[in-house]
Amino acid sequence: MNRFTRRDALRGAALGAAALGLSGCGMNRFNPSEAEAERPISAKVDGDLYYFNYSEYMDPGLIKGFEKRYGVRVIESNFDSMQGMLAKLNAGNRYDVIFPTAEWVDKLHKGNRLRRIDHSQLRNYQQVTSFTDYFNDPWYDPESAHTVPYAVYTTGICWRADKLGDKLTGSWRDLWNEEAKGKIYVLDDFQEALGMANLLNGFDLNTTDEAELEKTKQTLIGQKPLLRGYSADTITTMSSGNAWIEHMWNGDVVNVRNQVDSPENYRYETCNEGIPVGSDTFAIPTNARHPGTAMLFIDWLLDPEHAAMNIEYCGYPMPNDGGYEAFAGLAKDEPSINVTVEQLREGDQFRSLPRDDLTLWNETWTAVKAA
Amino acid sequence: MREGRYWSIFLIPGGIWLALFFAVPLGITIAISFGITDDLGNPVYAWNPENYSRVFDPVFLPVLIRSVGYALVATAVCLVIGYPVAYTVARHGGRFRHLLILAVVLPFFVNYLVRTYAWVTLLADDGLINGLLGTMGITESGVAWLNTPFAVVGGLAYGYMAFMILPVYAALDRMDPSLIEAGKDLYGSPAATFFNVTLPTTFQGVLAGCVLVFLPAVGDFVSAQLLGGPGTYMVGNLIQQQFHDAQNWPFGAALTVVMMAFLLIWMVFYLRSAARAADEGVA
Repeated sequence: MNRFTRRDALRGAALGAAALGLSGCGMNRFNPSEAEAERPISAKVDGDLYYFNYSEYMDPGLIKGFEKRYGVRVIESNFDSMQGMLAKLNAGNRYDVIFPTAEWVDKLHKGNRLRRIDHSQLRNYQQVTSFTDYFNDPWYDPESAHTVPYAVYTTGICWRADKLGDKLTGSWRDLWNEEAKGKIYVLDDFQEALGMANLLNGFDLNTTDEAELEKTKQTLIGQKPLLRGYSADTITTMSSGNAWIEHMWNGDVVNVRNQVDSPENYRYETCNEGIPVGSDTFAIPTNARHPGTAMLFIDWLLDPEHAAMNIEYCGYPMPNDGGYEAFAGLAKDEPSINVTVEQLREGDQFRSLPRDDLTLWNETWTAVKAA
Repeated sequence: MREGRYWSIFLIPGGIWLALFFAVPLGITIAISFGITDDLGNPVYAWNPENYSRVFDPVFLPVLIRSVGYALVATAVCLVIGYPVAYTVARHGGRFRHLLILAVVLPFFVNYLVRTYAWVTLLADDGLINGLLGTMGITESGVAWLNTPFAVVGGLAYGYMAFMILPVYAALDRMDPSLIEAGKDLYGSPAATFFNVTLPTTFQGVLAGCVLVFLPAVGDFVSAQLLGGPGTYMVGNLIQQQFHDAQNWPFGAALTVVMMAFLLIWMVFYLRSAARAADEGVA
C-alpha cells in the first residue's frame, strides 16, 4: 500500500540486477531519434501490456479490470527507484507504460526516450484539463506532449500528536526536536534530505552552489546525533512506533493513518521554508512494442471512477477530477495532507541537474552518510 | 603425460564457469572503474583514474575503519559462540551429530535478506524480544535495539555464523580424541588440555572460519541497511549507494576493486598459513 517498502526490499535485488545488467549488456547505448519519439500513436489494442511501475502503486483490481475489458494480459514488472528504472531501460528492456517523476521526464524526453502522447486520443483527458491548467505546459514536458500526470505529492513532516502535542512549529527545524531525540527519521533519499536542509538554510531547493551545499552538509551532519536513522520505509517506521517525527511524503502519511488504530495521532505538516512538490507521470517509452494498448490503459486510469478507486488503494492524489475528489475525502480529517493546485504551481520542485552538479549533490550526501 | 591430459578435460566445465561468471564480470568491473558517466547516468568506458584517487578521500576513512571494526567484532562473536557449538556437536553429538550440523545449516537455506528482515521484526521497539523482556519484568519500556551498532554486528554474526561452525567442526571431527586423553594423562586440567592440545590442533579450522566470516562481513551492506542507524554506514553501503542512488557506477566499481584488493591481502595471508600448516602435517 505504499511507494516505499519496495525501495528497501529490492535494494539487494537492484544491486544484483545492476551487476547482471553490466555483465550481460555491457555498454549498449540506446539513442533513438526524435522522429522515432514523435511518431503518433493511435489508442487501440496492439498487444499485451508490459507495465513497469513501483510495486503496489496501482490498484490491482483496476489492472484485472483492464485485462478483462480489452482481452489483453498485463505483464507487470517493478522498479524500486528512478535510477533502477533507468538501468532497466538502458539494458534494452522494452516496456509499454512507465511512471517517471517530473524530473526524470525532463531527462528522458530530452533524450528522445518517450513517445509523443496525443491527448485527443484519450477520451478522459478532459478530467485533467478541467481540473487544472497546470499540466497544459508543465516545466518538465512542454505542453505535456509526452506524459499524462499520474500522481502528485508533497514532502513534509509526520509526527505523533500523542507524544509531542497537537502543534509543531511548522518549520523544517522540527526535525531537530530535542524532545523526540532518538525517535526522528529523515528520508533515505539524497534529494529529499539535501533539499530539506537547503530550504531550512534559506537556499534554493536545487542549489548547486558549493558553499551552500557545504553548509547544508554541516546542517545534516549536525542533525545525526538526534536521528534514529535514515528511513527507506517510512510507513513501517512510523506505524511501528519507532518514530515520533519523520520526514515523509503525504501519501505515505495516508497509508500510515490507514494502518494504525488511532489515526488522529498521526499528524502531517508542510513547512514554511518551502514545500517540495513532486509529480509522477504516465509515459510510453520510445521502444514500446504496444503503445496503442498503453494509451488505452492510461485512458482507463483517467476514468473518474477508476481514478477514485486507485486513490483509495495507493493513498496518493491523482491530479484529475475523479481522483482529486476522492483524495479530498481521504484528507478531510487532516487537510494538510492534501496537495493544492497552488502548491503545485508555487511549490519547490526537484529539477534534473546537469551531471557535474548531480555529482556534487551525491558527494555531499555520501559525506553526510559517511560522517 | 597422456593420462594428465585426459584428466584435465574435467577442468573444462569449471574453467568455463569461472571465466564466464568470475573473470568476465571482474574484467568489466575493472574496466568500468576507469570510466565516466553520461548525462543520463549511463556508465561509459573511458580513461579516468580519478575514480581511484577519490577512493582515498579521507571522508571515507571512518567508513573503512568502521567496516573492519564491525567485521572483527562479528568474527569474534562467531568464534566465541561457534567454537563451543562445533565442539559440542563433534565431541558429544554421538549419532545425532549429522542431524545437529543439519540444524546449524538449515536457516541458511533462507535468503540472508529475508533472515535480516526477521531480525527487524524481532528487535523492533514493540517486537518479540522487548515483549519477552517486558513479560519477564526485566525492562519496563523496552530497549531500542534497532538502528544501533549492536544490531548491525549482531546481524553480521548471525548472518555468517555457519561459516565459522562448519570449518571448526570439520577440524574437531578430524582430530584424534586420544590426543585429549593424552593431555589428561599428563595431568593437564580440562582448561590446560583445551588450550595446549585441542585449540592448537584445530587452529587451521579456526583460522578458516575467521577468514570465511570476516571477508564477507567487511563488504556486507544488508545488515547496516536494515538494522543500522545514522552512524553505522559501512563500505558495502557506500558502494551500493554509488551504484543505486548516485548512478556513479565508475566510482562504485573503483571502490569495489580497492575493497577486493584489500580483502585479497587477508586471503593470501590465510592461504599461506594453511599451506605452511599442510607442509608441517598439521591438519
